[in-house]
Amino acid sequence: MSEVIRTERLTKFYGRRRGLDGLDLEVRQGEVYGFLGPNGAGKTTTIRILLDIIRPTSGTAQLLGRDPRAGGTALRTHVGYLPGDFVVNEAQSGRELLTHLGHLRGGVRADRIVALADRFDLDLGTRIGTLSKGNRQKVAVVQAFMHEPELLILDEPTAGLDPIMQQRFLDLVREATAKGQTVFMSSHVLSEVQQSADRVGIVRDGRLVAVEAVETLRRRAVRRVEVVFEGSVPADAFDGLPDVNDIEFDGSTLRCRLAGRADPLIKALARYDVASITIQEPDLEELFLVYYRGEAAVEDGDAAA
Amino acid sequence: MLLRSVFGKTLRDARRSILGWIVAITAVGAFYAAFFPTVNTPEMAQALEAYPEGLLDAIGFTDITSAAGYVGSTTFGILGPILTLIFAAVLAGGAIAGDEEDGRLDLVLAHPVSRWSVLVQRFGAIVVAMVAAGIVLAIALIAISGPAQIDDISAANFFAAGFQLALLGIVFSALAMGIGAATGRRVAVNAAIAIVGIGGYLANTLAPTVEGIEWLQSLSPFFYALGGAPLRNGLQVGDAVVLIVASVVLVAIGGYLFDRRDIAV
Repeated sequence: MSEVIRTERLTKFYGRRRGLDGLDLEVRQGEVYGFLGPNGAGKTTTIRILLDIIRPTSGTAQLLGRDPRAGGTALRTHVGYLPGDFVVNEAQSGRELLTHLGHLRGGVRADRIVALADRFDLDLGTRIGTLSKGNRQKVAVVQAFMHEPELLILDEPTAGLDPIMQQRFLDLVREATAKGQTVFMSSHVLSEVQQSADRVGIVRDGRLVAVEAVETLRRRAVRRVEVVFEGSVPADAFDGLPDVNDIEFDGSTLRCRLAGRADPLIKALARYDVASITIQEPDLEELFLVYYRGEAAVEDGDAAA
Repeated sequence: MLLRSVFGKTLRDARRSILGWIVAITAVGAFYAAFFPTVNTPEMAQALEAYPEGLLDAIGFTDITSAAGYVGSTTFGILGPILTLIFAAVLAGGAIAGDEEDGRLDLVLAHPVSRWSVLVQRFGAIVVAMVAAGIVLAIALIAISGPAQIDDISAANFFAAGFQLALLGIVFSALAMGIGAATGRRVAVNAAIAIVGIGGYLANTLAPTVEGIEWLQSLSPFFYALGGAPLRNGLQVGDAVVLIVASVVLVAIGGYLFDRRDIAV
């Protein structure tokens, strides 16, 4: 079995409000899957169905080859979960909570908990109520990883973590996948998953609109290009080039956006005397917006499905 | 040790409120019982005779010039039940509905523990708290029974009354857990406790005085907790069984619906 998570036409209605609208998802064993979408797109709904906290209106979900509900407690033994909103009794210390949750999982060695906490500079003795948002998030991260589950389901895992802790979190994710664990993480920020995800699924209005390797996303991302010329260049020299949009050209400086192969633009530029050229790193946020607006779904909806 | 299970963790998380409540119910209960010598006078007996019998019954005062009657009407008849009901609403209402509304239930249910197990273990913790309160209250009353002139009530009967008060708390806790598990809403829990609490109290005290609706009394949890006068007659096994069965049924119905519904965000 190579698919750790599989959903087919997963649909969820909250009364008449639609949470999920036929979501088809496939997450392979050992990969890091970024589940991206704006707030309200259905990410948390999907995750809560996978954990049997809510039940789908129609469609099926499978985790490690089993239905979340039928799999019950035996299935959840193999899963680590980081909730998007980590709320616990605030009067207890991190150690108390983690020890208790470890027991619910059949026992997690205390030194394992301490080692994880140390990696994140987390003080286990402090009452959770007095911890900052970032430190609470560290507790949430530790409880999800501490029993080394086969599958990690993480809802916005790095929310509140500072950049250094985000890096340590990414190290933890890499170590997990190196050991064959699978990581499914949701986010509404592309940069959060682009460093760690192998593939990214983009969800919008309860549907999966695209699944891409992060590299492909990067290649297809929109780049801003600025070229300064010497000598005269015809005003219409760059009209009609494929994948070149938003052209601004005043006779000496060209500004445009490149949304595909660079070759046609480069060939066109090469006919003139180029003084300088600047191509920005692809802005994944912008690409994300393209999918979100639904433009991508119209252009390559079939390829994505 | 208490961190090993949901049952233990529930007790540990609620330890301060459980201790505070046990202290409160014991202090208030003992305080009222200690006033018995001021009631146990010929003047008071005379004054009470002026009241129509039905009125005293209606407010739950029966035979208050005897020790068993007085303590049964005050500590076990009014103050104990009121405090116990409030505590049942807070603790048992919080155990599922409160946790769910605050968003704390997701994390526990994502662990390898079933919803039934969470419900039963948390209810078990509340049962322990209720029984502990009944026992501590009984011990406190036994301790002051000499100076309070209530020592013609046997120790066994104090424990019987404490246990039946605990059962009253358990059946209302079962109601709170059942409604909370079925709906996930604290407001529904509080409404159910208020309706059954006030309705049950009136059904136990007023209904027997009104011709034609006497049977309503047999629907009241208070009837099974207090009606058999355990301070005078000892443990009422039949009444206790009714309360226990009712508790099991309430939790079971709640668990059945809990297992089949979505947990609120």
